[in-house]
Amino acid sequence: MHVEQGALIPLKVLVAGGFGVGKTTFVRALSEIPPLLTEQAMTTASIGVDDADAVPGKSTTTVAMDFGRITVDEQLILYLFGTPGQARFWFMWDELARGAVGAVVLVDLRRVDDCFPAIDYFESRRLPFVVAVNRFPGSDGFDDDLVRDALALAGNTPLVWMDARDPVSSLAALVALVEHALARTAVAH
Amino acid sequence: MSRYLDSEGVEFDEPARTGGRVVPVYALTGGRTRSGGRDMPVESLVTATGSDIRDLRMEYRTTVDLAAHPVSIVEIGAALRVPVGVARVLVGDLVDTGYLDIHLPPTVGEGGPTPEILERLLEGLRAR
Repeated sequence: MHVEQGALIPLKVLVAGGFGVGKTTFVRALSEIPPLLTEQAMTTASIGVDDADAVPGKSTTTVAMDFGRITVDEQLILYLFGTPGQARFWFMWDELARGAVGAVVLVDLRRVDDCFPAIDYFESRRLPFVVAVNRFPGSDGFDDDLVRDALALAGNTPLVWMDARDPVSSLAALVALVEHALARTAVAH
Repeated sequence: MSRYLDSEGVEFDEPARTGGRVVPVYALTGGRTRSGGRDMPVESLVTATGSDIRDLRMEYRTTVDLAAHPVSIVEIGAALRVPVGVARVLVGDLVDTGYLDIHLPPTVGEGGPTPEILERLLEGLRAR
């Protein structure tokens, strides 16, 4: 692809995982702007069966998504999107995933099941992702093999341990994702 | 009836809006929610071209003002406190009329950025 000299290049990374796993904390640790909320109106059709009260045509649901920004250099600007974890929000993921560098899937080892929808989603879309175990109290007794087994992770999917509150640790998880995405392009070409 | 869900999918009350919206958001865009079918991902960046904006309506002027420095559609939506779909329509109109330049993400087909761009990203992040 031709990249114009001085042209601006927007990039994005998705931050996924279950409820309360630290997505907003991770975005806040890395963003140069206070994390902002964006709103997206859901159509009744995309709300699905869990919104039995919806009156067709009368009901709107607005989903707020937090995001942050990293100005990487004078041309590259990276956006981080904290994405709702549940499968009923996949209509939002589809737009966000298109053209993304990849995803960081945050995991809380006390509730590993919560990250399965995200892992399944990125595997099926062939989007590069890393699994980042957010160190909550009680996560120390586990090692990589145990976690990989519990998550049924493919061998080439990176697993990192981190603390979403710590900018250095969060940045390392992001770097691991970009390294993985780059390695994937090398295989593909 | 309106419902608000945060990024964890949990319901919350409509956010307090400092200043508030003065008109319904879709009135800003004439009821349109898409801009001419053009594919503009939410991270697309815009910059002001320097055209005289005195004759523009307020929400358009604000959008061009925000684009004095590179800014994305999603940031414009947050700054104007409107859904990102509305921001996309406003941006589309301003690109069509020459007030904004748009910088789309560098995707290759259905895939992500090229290896060259990923290398630059990696370099930039490691330098932080």
